[in-house]
Amino acid sequence: MYQTNYHRASSIDEATAILAGAEDGKFVAGGQTLIPTMKQRLAAPSDLVDLRHIGDLKGVSVENGEVRIGAGATHAEVAGDSTLGTVSPAICHLAAHIGDPHVRHMGTIGGSIANNDPAADYPAAMLALSATVHTSKRDIAADDFFVGLFETALEEDELITAVSFTIPEKAGYAKFPNPASRYALAGVFVVKRPDGVRVAVTGAGEDGVFRVAPFEDALSDTFDVSALEGAAVPADGLMSDIHASAEYRANLVAVMAKRAVEAANG
Amino acid sequence: MAMTIEGEERIEAPVETVWRALNDPDVLKECIPGCESLEKKSDTEFAATVSLKIGPIKARFKGEVELTNLNPPHSYTISGEGKGGVAGFAKGSANVMLKADGPDATILSYEASADVGGKMAQLGGRLIQSTSKKLAGQFFSDFNAKVSGGEETRQEA
Repeated sequence: MYQTNYHRASSIDEATAILAGAEDGKFVAGGQTLIPTMKQRLAAPSDLVDLRHIGDLKGVSVENGEVRIGAGATHAEVAGDSTLGTVSPAICHLAAHIGDPHVRHMGTIGGSIANNDPAADYPAAMLALSATVHTSKRDIAADDFFVGLFETALEEDELITAVSFTIPEKAGYAKFPNPASRYALAGVFVVKRPDGVRVAVTGAGEDGVFRVAPFEDALSDTFDVSALEGAAVPADGLMSDIHASAEYRANLVAVMAKRAVEAANG
Repeated sequence: MAMTIEGEERIEAPVETVWRALNDPDVLKECIPGCESLEKKSDTEFAATVSLKIGPIKARFKGEVELTNLNPPHSYTISGEGKGGVAGFAKGSANVMLKADGPDATILSYEASADVGGKMAQLGGRLIQSTSKKLAGQFFSDFNAKVSGGEETRQEA
């Protein structure tokens, strides 16, 4: 790893101020992507601003039907939050299956969505839940937040502070994990609300997370696995790599969507 | 780790104009994603510095861009090769073909191939296909936007 300057920020304002003053600085939350990348010398930021000691980024709260998860909440905290487990168990289930125990105790929800890895789990949940991403500058709807492969609406010096969403009527998540990394080869998050159904897919799209309108329409009519009988997504625009071809991923998307609906109805 | 990428762009400009732009270092510099500098060494050779940021990875490549198989104003091959220090190397080339679509429009089609090696390929294997496709697409759509009507009409893909 290259030499780098380490800063421990104690507030959001301090973190953004340090970053603004750095030559080529980076925020680091759990560091589960950035640190391995730095160890391989594929990134060499001059300054690291550690966000783990900022109280305002912590905690999960549920109030008046709204869930708010601090950006600094680790996957293990989300997975184990008992209130969240009662009102929206799907997101706890998702968090419980990210990576391995080490990743879950270090990695954070803010770090995951800021990185927007095309195979990460959280982006699917955010998009399907119509979540709002709160940052040091503004509030961004999930629909506008995830722009493409590793790309988000975030500016270089913008910090995610929390995400929030309204408790859904029903929600479910199912993924087919890569057996080594536990990244999703395809993961589908399904959310049912009185005004309709949203289906978001991660792990499969070349441009990252995306929604499947035909699945949403079918499930809005009948929220049951039978509604997806014979439903398929085209392989066009899906990722193809050593782990799975685009055609295989297309099939996985349909299978995972059915399992997610089953989980939501379970 | 090599791969092939194909695509097509319809450009609102005559073939001659498109051809001139394909040979203009200033245009190329603005359209090559992450291009920091492009210096002309001869009519067909350029020295380039390209900085790429893909997720957590940030690498700066120094290398060369070369134009070969020139068949004005119908086709050429643009190829580039760069070394990114410990990150590894990247090289790519594209066969570019122009076909008139009426007097004021041109169909530009390309077949590009890219090859990435070193640590970047080891670690980013699952992302290289998507990334290469995206970068090639970005180059040609930026090129289209620039040649078709200047930057005002540029639209995000």
